[in-house]
Order: sequence, then C-alpha cells, then structure tokens
Amino acid sequence: MINFKRIFQIISLLLIIEAFFVSACIPFSLYYKGNDAGSLLITAVVTFLSGLFGWFLTRKADKSIGKRDGYIIVSMVWVVFSFFGSLPFILSGAIPSFTDAFFETMSGFTTTGASILDDIESMPHGLLLWRSLTQWLGGMGIIVLSLAILPILGIGGMQLFVAEVPGPTKEKMHPRVKETAKRLWGIYVIFTGIETVLLMIGGMSFFDALNHSFTTMATGGYSTKQASIAFYDSPYIQYVITLFMFLAGTNFVLSYFALHLRLDKVWKNEEFRFYFVFIAIFTLVVALGLYLGGGMSAEKSFRDAAFQVVSIITTTGFVTTDYLTWAPVLTVLVFIMMFIGGSAGSTGGGVKVIRVLLVLKNSYIELKRMLNPHAVIPVRLNHHVVSPQIISNVITFIMIYILILVFSVGVIASLGYNMDTSFGAVAACIGNIGPGIGEVGPAFSYSHFPVFGKWYLSFIMLLGRLELFTVLILFAPAFWRK
Amino acid sequence: MRIIIAGAGEVGTHLAKMLSNENHDIVVIDPDSEKLQNIEASYDLMTVQGSATSIEVLKEANINKCELYIAVAPSEETNITGAIIAKKLGAAKTIARIDSSEYLLRGHMEIFISMGIDYLIYPERIASREIITLLHRTASTDFMDFSGGALSLYVLKLDEKAPAVSKSLIEMAKKNIKLEYRAVAITRNGQTIIPKGCDMFQANDLVYVITNPSGIHEIMKYSGKEDYEVKNILILGGSRIGIRTAMDMENSCNIKLIEIDKKKCDKINSWVDKTLVINGDGRNIELLHEAGIKNMDAFIAVTGNSETNILSCLVAKNLGVKKIICEVENFDYIGIAENMGLDTIINKKVSAASRIFRFTMNQEVSNIKCLTGTDAEIFEYVAKPDSLITKGPIKSIGFPEDAIIGGVVRGKSSFIAKGNTQIKPNDLVIVFALPSAIFKIGKFFK
Repeated sequence: MINFKRIFQIISLLLIIEAFFVSACIPFSLYYKGNDAGSLLITAVVTFLSGLFGWFLTRKADKSIGKRDGYIIVSMVWVVFSFFGSLPFILSGAIPSFTDAFFETMSGFTTTGASILDDIESMPHGLLLWRSLTQWLGGMGIIVLSLAILPILGIGGMQLFVAEVPGPTKEKMHPRVKETAKRLWGIYVIFTGIETVLLMIGGMSFFDALNHSFTTMATGGYSTKQASIAFYDSPYIQYVITLFMFLAGTNFVLSYFALHLRLDKVWKNEEFRFYFVFIAIFTLVVALGLYLGGGMSAEKSFRDAAFQVVSIITTTGFVTTDYLTWAPVLTVLVFIMMFIGGSAGSTGGGVKVIRVLLVLKNSYIELKRMLNPHAVIPVRLNHHVVSPQIISNVITFIMIYILILVFSVGVIASLGYNMDTSFGAVAACIGNIGPGIGEVGPAFSYSHFPVFGKWYLSFIMLLGRLELFTVLILFAPAFWRK
Repeated sequence: MRIIIAGAGEVGTHLAKMLSNENHDIVVIDPDSEKLQNIEASYDLMTVQGSATSIEVLKEANINKCELYIAVAPSEETNITGAIIAKKLGAAKTIARIDSSEYLLRGHMEIFISMGIDYLIYPERIASREIITLLHRTASTDFMDFSGGALSLYVLKLDEKAPAVSKSLIEMAKKNIKLEYRAVAITRNGQTIIPKGCDMFQANDLVYVITNPSGIHEIMKYSGKEDYEVKNILILGGSRIGIRTAMDMENSCNIKLIEIDKKKCDKINSWVDKTLVINGDGRNIELLHEAGIKNMDAFIAVTGNSETNILSCLVAKNLGVKKIICEVENFDYIGIAENMGLDTIINKKVSAASRIFRFTMNQEVSNIKCLTGTDAEIFEYVAKPDSLITKGPIKSIGFPEDAIIGGVVRGKSSFIAKGNTQIKPNDLVIVFALPSAIFKIGKFFK
C-alpha cells in the first residue's frame, strides 16, 4: 500500500538539501550588497526547519518504497521544491505575487526557462543565482542528486530513479543506482566547471559565467541579462555556449564513455548520430536561409543558425537573435524543432530524440510489413531488437503528448490568445524550452498571462519535465484503488 | 564485491535479491529479456541480455573486473562452459551449478579446478543433506552445528502445550542458571524479532535457540518436544532430492518412495537398492494408506510441485505422522504452509544460496546459514585480533540492536554470550542478524 509516512519523510529530507542550496546563494548577495540576503536566509531557515520537523514526525516510518510511492514522491518533490523555492522572490519583494513567483520557480526547476520577468537586470544577485540554481538542480534531477548524496535512499532508490528518469532505454554506467547517480552528477559538475572557466576566458564576470553555465548544462535557459546571450556580442562566448548546449542535450552516459575514450561507443549510438545529423542539417538550412535572406555575413548566419537550432532542439531556450523576425519558413522550422528535444539521459526536455527515431523507424517498417505481410521485421536500435512493448509505449507517449498539446492550446486560446501565442506557449512549456512564438517569443515574457494561465502552464511544465507518465499516472483511478 | 550472476532462473533471482540488498555490484546475464526486466525493476542491479557463454556478452558485463562469477543457468553445460570462459576472461572466482553428483566424487573436482571452476554446486544434493540432518534432529524444524557441535542452533516450533508458552524470557532465564542456552530470535506471523527480557513466548512461535550440548535436554523439555529415532520413511516424489535422500538413508531405515511416472520408477530402481518404489499419485489418500502412512516416522514431500507437497503433507499431518518435511519452492507459499502447521520446510534455492553466499562474505565469516521462512541469517565469525568486537564487553561496544551474539566458541570450550561477555581474539562468534544489520556487523570483526 501507499506508504505516506515514508513519502513525507523523504520529501522532508530533500527539503534540507534545498535549504542548503538556498543558503549557498547568501554569500553572493552579501558580496554584491543586494537587499536579498535576508529573504534568502529566512527561506533557508524555514525550509530547513520544515524539513527537520517533517523528518522528526516521520522518523519511525517503514523504510519500504513501492512503485506507487516512487511516482508520488517524485511528482510531489517538484511541487514542494517550487513552493519553498519561490519564497525568496516573494519575501524580498522582487516578485511580489505568489503566482508569478511559483511560475518562475517551477519554470526554473523544470528547466523550462519561461520567465515572467520584464527587467532581469534589476534583480539582486543572490536571487539571480538562486534562479539559475533551480535550473541546475532540476536539470540533472532532484532525485538523482539525492540518490547520489543521501545514503538513506538505498532501498527503493530504483523506484525513484525510474520515476524521475523515464524513457524507453536505460543504459546504466554502474550496477548500482547510487553509483550511477554519482557518475551522472560528476560529469554534470565537471562540464559546468569547464564551461564557467571557458566563459570567463571570453570576458564574462565569474558571476555571469557561473549562472550561464548552470543554465546551459541544465538546458534551462535562464540568463542574467534581459537580452539573453544576445547581450554578449562575442562570437567566442556564443560558440562556447552552443557547444555546451549540445553536450547537455547528449546522453550523459555517452559523455561518460567519451571521457573514458571509448569513442566507438559514442559514434555507434544511433540516437546520437540522429541527433547530430539532425542538428547539422537544420543548421545548414537555417544558415543558408539567413545568408540568402541578405544582410548577414556567412559567419554570422552560421553562428546564429547553429546557436538557435541547438538552443531550441536541446530545449535550452537561450536566444542570440529574435527568430520571429526571420523569414516565415525559418520560423516554421523553429516550430518543428520545438518537438524534438534532447537525447534520452540528457538534461534536455521535449519528446526526446530516441522517441522520434523509434517512431520514424517503426513507421517505415510498418510500410515494409504491408508489402511483405508474412515477414517478421523487428525495429532495431543499436543492432538490438526493440520489443513491441517499448514501441507501443513510445507511440502512446507521443499520442498523449499531442493530446495534451491540443487540449492545452484550447485552454490558453480560451483566455483570449491567438493561435500563434497559444501554440507557442504550450509547446514551449511542455517541451521545457522557454521562449515560444507569438506573444511569448524571444522578445516577450510570460508576465501578461492571467493567474489561471500561469498555474496551468506551470502544471504543463511539470508534465513535460517528468515525461508525462510519472505525473499522469497519479490521475489514473487504478493508481489509488486498493 | 563485483558479482556476475549468469542465469535469471529461481536460484539466480533469489541470489540477486539477497546480494543486492547487501551493497554488492551485481550484473545479471540471461537470454530472456522479460525475466531481466522484472529483476531490474525490483532490485538495484544491472542486466545484460544474451547468452552467458558468449564472450561478447561477458565482456559487456565487465567480466575482467568481476570478482565472483556465479553460473546458475538451467543447463549444466552452459554453466560449465560459461564459468571456464569467464575465468579465462579475468573473473577471480567462479562457481557453477551442476546436475550430476558424479562430478562431486572424490578426485573429480581437480578436473574442474584445472579448467578454471573453483566450486561446483549441486542444489539437490545440498537439500538432501539438509533433509538427512533434519531426520536426525526430529524435534527441531531447522538445525545447524557450529564447530563440530560445540554449539548448535535449534529452531523450535512452540505448540500450545509447550511449557514455555506464555512465559517471558526472564522467567525462562531463572530456570537456566548455568546459561546453557539462549533464545536469540522469534519468528511470529512472518515477522522476525530479537526478543527482549520481558517479551513472552507464544504458541506457534518459531524460536531460534543457541545451545551448548548440555542444554539440549532442557530445551526439549521446555518446548515440549523430543528427538526420536526415525525408522520408517515415506518419500513422495522421485525428484533428484528424493532419490538422493533414499540412496543415503536406505541402509539405516525402511524407505518407501512414491513416484507418479511409471518410466521414472524403473529408472529410480536402477539407482536405489533396498528402497521400495511405488508407482502412483501422492494426492491419492488411499494410496498413502496402502503405503502404510500411519506407521511412518517421517513423511518427506519432494515432488517438483509445491502445491502437491503442501497438500500431501497436510494429509500426513492429519494422519498423525510426527515428522513432516515439505519442499516448497514457491516463496509465496512458505508463509502459508507454515501457518497451516507445516513447520519443517526446505527450499533448495535458499540452501544453494546459503552456500554461494559464503563466497561473497569476507574472510572473517567462517560459516553462514540462510533460514527458510525468514530473511534473517546466521553467521559464524572469527574475531580478528584488534577487531572492534574484542575491544570491550558486548554491551558497551555499540553492537547493532537488530543483531545478537548468540554464543562463543573459544578453543575447546563454548559458552552462551551475555552482555558482559568479553570476546577474545580468534574466538568463533555466532551472530544472528536481521537483514537490516547484515551490512553493519562486518566492521566489528575486521
């Protein structure tokens, strides 16, 4: 049965971790003499005490975690974290409305990067760092982090891991979940560190470099500048960020192999090849379009194209140029890219490359099957046969994705938005991208949505981040039936 | 420890479950991806799909870093081939499960060692050994000797009439002045606890007692049981376990063996000598009567089918057979069978796992026994000089509460441990540990 005590206990323990990360922002706000140190401190203390109190109440809980408990814990953690994470914004008065603050934090943890802020530069430094940190924590995953550092999650850790890191294939780097989680976070931290140094070499301040590295590796897209990366008119910085967005959208298991110089494993991976080739083709097409459209040097066309294509496909959402001002056909291409997403096992959101690849393969094979009715033709991935169950799971995922998308577009449109904006906002939120098209394009923010719209979009972001099933399953009557 | 388990059958799955709870790095290899999915969803381990005799597959499972390769696939040939290849590819130690006792004969083992297989395991033989031990200790439902009988573990089921029922441990201790025995644990309604002084014994408790040879008589008195000699045995099922048991016991007892398959009966007759082989269905009560079940001292049900075993054992129990040993391979049924009053249950997976388990423990562990019906285990540790356990009386070194030290063997003498017992280097220490404690106790003996 559902072990509510244990669920409560684990969430309480995780809150203590959140309190630690909130307090890590305080030195920055003191250094930059912002007015936000108090609000961060109060949040840290309140979060810590809530966690401690919750743990104290449930310290005698039975340690077992079942499948259901895993799904509840993972879904709840993201909501609870967003609630406590929004406190600094409210307390400091930087974002006075609770709805706005919650939206901003949920958008952070889910690495969406959709912001309601219209003047980011006016935010105090401590809060800006916290905003980036929410993305960094959410990128690799709160549960994955806690699996790596908390020994208490040993039993049942697998249930939580599966709920937070869904996806059709599971490649483990190590037999034990805890060790796998440690390696994932290890690579994550190393990449973030390298990017920070590289950005500082390009002339960014340490603070900005750190923030942008956090949000790049998480494929989040929060920037410390209102103009996003366009603020930095440096080709070097833009190329560095493009490269790291690409890495963040790659399966971290492959990065692990690459770091161990087992490059054959990387190149043999069909998902990676598809991801790479797809990005290459789109970049070339967009670059060509921009160059022929006139007014831009070949280098700038290529740079803008590469940056924007990688940013959208990996669902990061950084911008160096407003793609809505491009030729209409290029904007349509951007819209298509919004549905691809990162690779499985990356920090990217969206449908995920592997699902797109499997569905394309299955569709082609379906045609072959019609020609040879008696032939047995399996779908293969990396030379292994993919079971029909996985194919069915993938098709179902895409079906539900489309259903939710269409339904949500209706919901947003009913709030008085046009087709472009409704589609753009929903696609950008469910894919955890951030900037969309129409009135939520790169030049705008989400501040103009009514209260209901913001809550609804927050929910959509969570659905997208946990790849639909983990959250949706909570709404199935069978889940609660005894 | 890095362990590869080749074969996700019943023994393999059981081992994977036990070992993954104890901080080992486990990789399971099996050709059947569905089996692997089930295992991977439930336990913290990695799986590789493919044949365990494929070099490619073994490499994928990181065989070169493997410290223990356990081959427990259904086929003997796969296991032997896999273990040989594994050894050549760098596995430090290999274990292969086999199906024929011929390989275990004296002198034959060297052949396997020279090929690279360190240990052969034959679960049916282990189970039949266990049955024979139990037939010699009819009072207890499970039994184990430590250092050649200096201390023993008896597992006793308390009947309603047992004198110890409704008495607390303290009351019982008053009658046990010389401290010859000690109840270390109780399994009640499927839950195993380590009792405190004020806990009461209840009817239907399974009590785990560590005792000196001199305490055995007292234990029998308070549990209302006694050992008696077994002369007439009825074995149901001509499985490998049944045949082995018959072969080992037929010179000292009268044995009848019932087997349903006519052809198999002929085969059995070529192996056994004095045993009377009866062809028929063990679920047929008339047949059991015909075989003289009322005059039997022991009834052993070891058909491959757990349901048949349980049902026929219940029949035997109703007819008044005193010692009933029931093979239950289906884990879910063990608790049910125990509740129905079948207390002596054997499970060849648990027996085999016990043996294999020993290879995963540190050198400090000299012996181990996994018990059917509970997740707890009994370890025999050697206290290393300067280890934590020798640093003071037991009560003051912070020994975990979910484990208990039952007894100590020092040289030729043995005694039951108390709170103020001081363990000395090189003592053999018997520890009863609940699953939550298994990982914690190792450090006390290093």
